[in-house]
Amino acid sequence: MVERQSPLEPEFHVGSHGNFEHGVEIILTETRPGSIVQLAAWPGEEKKLISGIRTVTGLALPDGAGGGLSDGVKSVFGFAPGKFTVADEAEGLAAAFARVVTPAIGTVTDLSHGRTAIRIAGPKAEWVLAKFFAIDFALPAFPVGAGRSTTHHDVFAQIQRTSADQFDIYVFRSFARSFWKALCHASEEVGYEVQ
Amino acid sequence: MSPRRTDTGGRIDRLKTIRFTFDGVAYTGHAGDTLASALLAKGVTLFGRSFKYHRPRGLLTAGVEEPNALVTVLKGEVREPNIPATMVEIHDGLVAISQNRFPSLAWDINAVNQLGGKLLSAGFYYKTFMGPVVGPLKGTRFWMVCERFIRRAAGLGSAGSAKDPARYERMNAFCDVLVVGSGPAGLMAAKAAADQGARVMLADLEPRFGGSANWSGETIDGAPASDWARRTVAQLEGRDNVRLLPRTTVWGYYDNNTLAALERVTDHKEQPGKGEPRHRYWAIRAKSVVLATGAFERPLVFPGNDRPGVMLAHAAERYANEFGVLPGERIALFTNNDSAYRVAVALKKAGAAVVAIADVRPELSAEMRKLAEEVDAEILAGHAVVATEGGRALSGLKLQRFDMANGTLTGDARSIHADCLLMSGGWSPTIHLASQAGAKAQWNAARQAFLPPKPTQQWPTQQWIGAGAFTGSFSTAEAIAEGRAAGLAAAGATGTPTALPTVEAVPGDPDPAPVFEIRAKGKSFVDFQHDVTAEDVRLAHREGFVSVEHLKRYTTLGMATDQGKSSNIPGLAIMAEALGKPIPEVGTTRFRPPFAPVSIGSLAAERFGDLKPERLTPMHDWHVANGATMYSAGLWYRPMIYGDAGETVEQAYVREAKATRESAGIVDVSTLGKIAVQGPDAAAFLDRVYTNMFSTLAVGKARYGLMLREDGLAFDDGTTWRLGEQDFLMTTTTANAGKVMQHLEYFLDVIWPELKVHVTSVTDEWAGAAIGGPKARQILAACVTSTAVDNATLPFMGIVRGEIADVPVMICRLSFSGEMAFEVYSGAGHGTHVWEALIEAGKPFGLVTYGLEALGTMRIEKGHVTGAEIDGRTTARDLHLDWMLSKKKPFIGSAMMDREGLIASDRLELVGLIALDNRPLNGGAHIVEEVDEANPHGSIGHITACCYSPALGKHIALALVKGGKARRGTRAHVSDPLRNRFGPVEIVSNHFFDPEGTRMHG
Amino acid sequence: MLITCPYCGPRDVIEFTYQGDGNRERPDPASQNFEAWNAYVYDRLNPAGDHNEIWQHSGGCRAHLRVVRNTLTHEISSVAFVRGEHTSTPRRKAEGKS
Repeated sequence: MVERQSPLEPEFHVGSHGNFEHGVEIILTETRPGSIVQLAAWPGEEKKLISGIRTVTGLALPDGAGGGLSDGVKSVFGFAPGKFTVADEAEGLAAAFARVVTPAIGTVTDLSHGRTAIRIAGPKAEWVLAKFFAIDFALPAFPVGAGRSTTHHDVFAQIQRTSADQFDIYVFRSFARSFWKALCHASEEVGYEVQ
Repeated sequence: MSPRRTDTGGRIDRLKTIRFTFDGVAYTGHAGDTLASALLAKGVTLFGRSFKYHRPRGLLTAGVEEPNALVTVLKGEVREPNIPATMVEIHDGLVAISQNRFPSLAWDINAVNQLGGKLLSAGFYYKTFMGPVVGPLKGTRFWMVCERFIRRAAGLGSAGSAKDPARYERMNAFCDVLVVGSGPAGLMAAKAAADQGARVMLADLEPRFGGSANWSGETIDGAPASDWARRTVAQLEGRDNVRLLPRTTVWGYYDNNTLAALERVTDHKEQPGKGEPRHRYWAIRAKSVVLATGAFERPLVFPGNDRPGVMLAHAAERYANEFGVLPGERIALFTNNDSAYRVAVALKKAGAAVVAIADVRPELSAEMRKLAEEVDAEILAGHAVVATEGGRALSGLKLQRFDMANGTLTGDARSIHADCLLMSGGWSPTIHLASQAGAKAQWNAARQAFLPPKPTQQWPTQQWIGAGAFTGSFSTAEAIAEGRAAGLAAAGATGTPTALPTVEAVPGDPDPAPVFEIRAKGKSFVDFQHDVTAEDVRLAHREGFVSVEHLKRYTTLGMATDQGKSSNIPGLAIMAEALGKPIPEVGTTRFRPPFAPVSIGSLAAERFGDLKPERLTPMHDWHVANGATMYSAGLWYRPMIYGDAGETVEQAYVREAKATRESAGIVDVSTLGKIAVQGPDAAAFLDRVYTNMFSTLAVGKARYGLMLREDGLAFDDGTTWRLGEQDFLMTTTTANAGKVMQHLEYFLDVIWPELKVHVTSVTDEWAGAAIGGPKARQILAACVTSTAVDNATLPFMGIVRGEIADVPVMICRLSFSGEMAFEVYSGAGHGTHVWEALIEAGKPFGLVTYGLEALGTMRIEKGHVTGAEIDGRTTARDLHLDWMLSKKKPFIGSAMMDREGLIASDRLELVGLIALDNRPLNGGAHIVEEVDEANPHGSIGHITACCYSPALGKHIALALVKGGKARRGTRAHVSDPLRNRFGPVEIVSNHFFDPEGTRMHG
Repeated sequence: MLITCPYCGPRDVIEFTYQGDGNRERPDPASQNFEAWNAYVYDRLNPAGDHNEIWQHSGGCRAHLRVVRNTLTHEISSVAFVRGEHTSTPRRKAEGKS
């Protein structure tokens, strides 16, 4: 199998950076899921799609806009009416969904190459993300598991909170390096580590 | 005698000495000092020269409203001008210089301007433009000479040209309650709201929270007010639902309680921390806003009121109580209200002699008389200051009897020796943010001030609650009570509040006497920063300016960097008097953002230089490593040429294009917009979106499509591939990818919601490589596995799936270059891997990489259109694409495309041009029938794209020419006066090369 | 200015794209009524007061929204999906207030 090239490579420098002498408050990494799939239901078919997601991933989506959850291996969240992003460490998710999500329910779009998943974690994750996105990252407004669609200038992003101080950000691959550089830059003042 | 530091008192740290320079002279101050307080403590009274007259100026205030003491702060090569010395916190190594003086602050050559005062009166800018209409200088250039002199002489600090290396950042914040101002009202509001569990942000433009508590000398809950403030701040600091923002100016109030603030993060530090921004621009979205922004004290307008040593009363109180600095030894006060008496008490306590209190009011309350007696000051009720004396520092003042009822002065002038004169003309609530938020201020006759309106009269999209001096409640006890109520209301609380702290304060009536100006001989300043005098205001009135908005613009009153914080109301009062109208009828101007100057860097934040977002294709690093010159196309970076050593751009693209036509070339086409169009109605949808049919397209085939806009003009073109019955891959031009996506989404969401179609941007999912040329198929055959690529398996516009170097690929046989060509798509993460495999397979065949220049050259040779021709003004017919307009179905634009104007015979139509003089052509050059170099005219069109064509060996171009099709075979001329290029051209078909397409069909 | 997207909650106006007057009615695609087409393509209401507008949440869920906005005060009195509410993705409750 041919390994996928990361778009971040030349700018991905493992180790501690910035103002880390006083401790690292941010950890940045690329999660490199094997599969990233977008699912979209026809109006009225959302329940069937959600049950299809459960069949394939074992994850039972909570109700409501932007609801989602993650078991550490697979993640799913809603990002638009009737639309969901699913990520899995393993490859082949699109094919698995193609068997379950029939044309009568909705569509499956494989974005495994097209989106880059960047993880930001640590006590200052909310602080650093607030420099980019005009959304409220406080836990009550953005609960664990939930997803958000938002944008930083031209960089469209889907963000899932995967724990109290951890967020997975899905950006377009072509923007990923530029966004990564900005993320590192913004993390300098609190000290960050790339893993 | 001069100002000095007191032995005790103040919130400064006397144990910490800080070294800085001002105008090259070394000074020391203490931690907690501003540049103003530190210099004042060293006896400095002269801080700057005034805008027009270059009059010596000292400190008027102690805060953000300072109009006189503006300095330039130097950080290395970077200079930041026009910062009030009152807002500069000193730090070791601070370098500040004074402004608007030559050769030095003390001896300023332009002070001669004071003699030419008449020349520089109100509206002088307008007048100088007109010049004298009578007299000996009529029609001469004398006024222009004057104007140049005036413009150079008038001004503030000068900006630097060095690149600012500082970091600026933007921050988004959300809260339940934003409290602006941290005086007793703001502190109490923040605490009350925080106690309710609300998410609270508290911002203050000062480094020290507490506002007036830091200098009022009052007692709260039995302790000094400053201690109470410190304790309250400490309580707030420990809570995780509270964010405290010192040094943060809330400067803009926008719709839906969105506020803009500037945090000065490191200006007060010798060295910023690693990664620390200099300024942070906070965009705050608050559910509720509490405005506790306090009030500004007003100067009185009288001759010589701008002399160094004349200061606002509360500023002196602040210097004494907060910074431990006495602004003078022998202090006189001049007031129209009671608040100055508390100042007298404070200064006496701090060690100064208070020689006299002149009060315009004939009758004084027993309490005020008692206070005056306590400080051993002579009481001069019913008196006014009519002149001040001294040079760069005050030496004395002159007083006369004053009748408040009619403004007349009587009796002999009496002189008083004093080195400091404090004035108080009453207080104006700081209603700027409320005014920005749409609130219409209301005149309160008792307070002689504009007060914010009641909550019910507020603008619907901005809801704030006021507290303290902002509302005209000038006592600390009222401020605390209002602050608590505001905090509770903002947090939506209903429970019973905790007890209020008790305040012990000097008594006083909050209402001033309605006196703004003492009319006597001499320049009486209204706007200190723009040198606008009371006489200027009256002159403007005499010259016919009756509206307050016109007055402002004509005199420039209130238009300086301080935005008239101290001058607005006195100016308005003088205008009202001149008009013979009451103040509320004259009205006030609306305040606009920013409240105080904002650094441009903070607004740009991270969006410049290295951090500007950019898009890179999967093969970007390969291109760079292999000698490509990258070219920015929108946000994308694409190879322009892969130049060999010593090659010019033209030599490189000619070589690349030639090699492609002779053997094969490969180009990165990953930037093309790609949209997955999926669903049972996908084919029907495409039939509506494209001018031609897609429902008839077989699975595994691609078709070139054209889209129009609703108005019938051409919009975009590209190929769309049918990957499955309900699964299409649409490609768009690079530039229009986003627009096409929005176009499709709009129609699906708004016009045809019944269609079951999903569209998804998959531009980034696929890496694309276009390989074309006579050897292209052989190269593919050498590296593609799992499928054949022969003509039967992969006919023109056919699609196959296979593998290259163990990676799945999708190959479509289509051509932009006009050669036998293929687009090879692979997963983006495999893009470089596949690209390298293709390059390797192509080596024996002479495969070259080519960039945008060669791509453009080959498309011009083929006469294909791009955004240069689909320019939003051309129709399908103009571009000879009318063969694509289906007659079997309606499509977007079909109803409007046949309008009279869009089918006229003299429209600009696409043609080819060949330079008959064998010289290069230029994009944008005009086409004419007859050349007239001296008087270029008669354009019949213009060039949209041009190149040297290696295939034809000629300089060619595409052009849009009036009635172009009918002109084929005729001659015309290129007329390009800007570049001095004139010459004959032949008009031909846009299909220069292989018009039958035999090469690509193979 | 904030617009409360029925899916995403209140978001800054920078995330949205104005997509025109919401009062336009597109004629039947096959219609040859030129006047109607002309009105649809070119005529726009420009009221001083409440206006029926279409906005796309282009920097968010990308849904098109029908927004009633007062052009004098910027007050937004209602926001709804142009397509109609999706049954299983109800309006976010916690962030419903702007």
